[in-house]
Amino acid sequence: MENELRGANWKDRLRFSLDRRLAFLIEGESMWPTLNDGDVVLVKRTQSARQDDIVLANHPYRSSVKIVKRVAEILPDGALILRGDNPLESTDSRAFGSISKSDVIGRVVCRLAKLNVDK
Amino acid sequence: MFEKFRSNIEVAEAHCDAPCGVYDPASARIAAEAVLSMTKKILDLKVPEGDAKATANYHNTLARYILVKEEQARDAKEQLLILWTDYFKPVHLEKYPNLHDTFWKAAKLCSACKVEVSLEHANELMDAVKEVHNIFWATKDRDVAWYTAS
Repeated sequence: MENELRGANWKDRLRFSLDRRLAFLIEGESMWPTLNDGDVVLVKRTQSARQDDIVLANHPYRSSVKIVKRVAEILPDGALILRGDNPLESTDSRAFGSISKSDVIGRVVCRLAKLNVDK
Repeated sequence: MFEKFRSNIEVAEAHCDAPCGVYDPASARIAAEAVLSMTKKILDLKVPEGDAKATANYHNTLARYILVKEEQARDAKEQLLILWTDYFKPVHLEKYPNLHDTFWKAAKLCSACKVEVSLEHANELMDAVKEVHNIFWATKDRDVAWYTAS
């Protein structure tokens, strides 16, 4: 993958402990091989995203759901086209169209851990 | 640190929903065309007189036409339901308020064509699929002309 996600360093951990980063548990395989089910990532709160960034966003039609996808394209009006890295297993903009910039919560900056979560 | 970690963590979904957003009403159209074709073939099939072999052939051919008609009607319905429930979203409904009615009628016609031998309903099914085709491509701002294989 051209945009591999780096592991968390001590600065990331410090920022997380100071509430400057949000932690999110990844569920599902749509971002494989970059992210795996059970990975924990750190997210920086921002609504500015560039192409190829991995973003955390509100699902456009299911308000309680947050999604993690890669920005495939930014349209002239600022809306984002999102894609999963795993083309065979992803609900993305091909299914729900573009998302508006205001739905972006933040940018995934690094991987913090791999959790074994009891499901 | 770990306690904070567990209490702060939220879930971000990276779920799958195959077939991953590749939609095209053509699959429903092909199935509906097959239903229409089989309906015509069943209606055109002549009952043979006398000859036992010809009678056996007739029953065999008729059974095969019926089988294909039922299979394709079921497939047409499934393809329509996939478009209806997976592709179309509330924003589309706002723009095409008759969307639900269109799909509901199209799905009902699939059932009717499966059960009956009705040229009228098979043609109505084709019209319904054409309507879905028009709405579908309009939502993508694409001008895709309606065509049939047969």
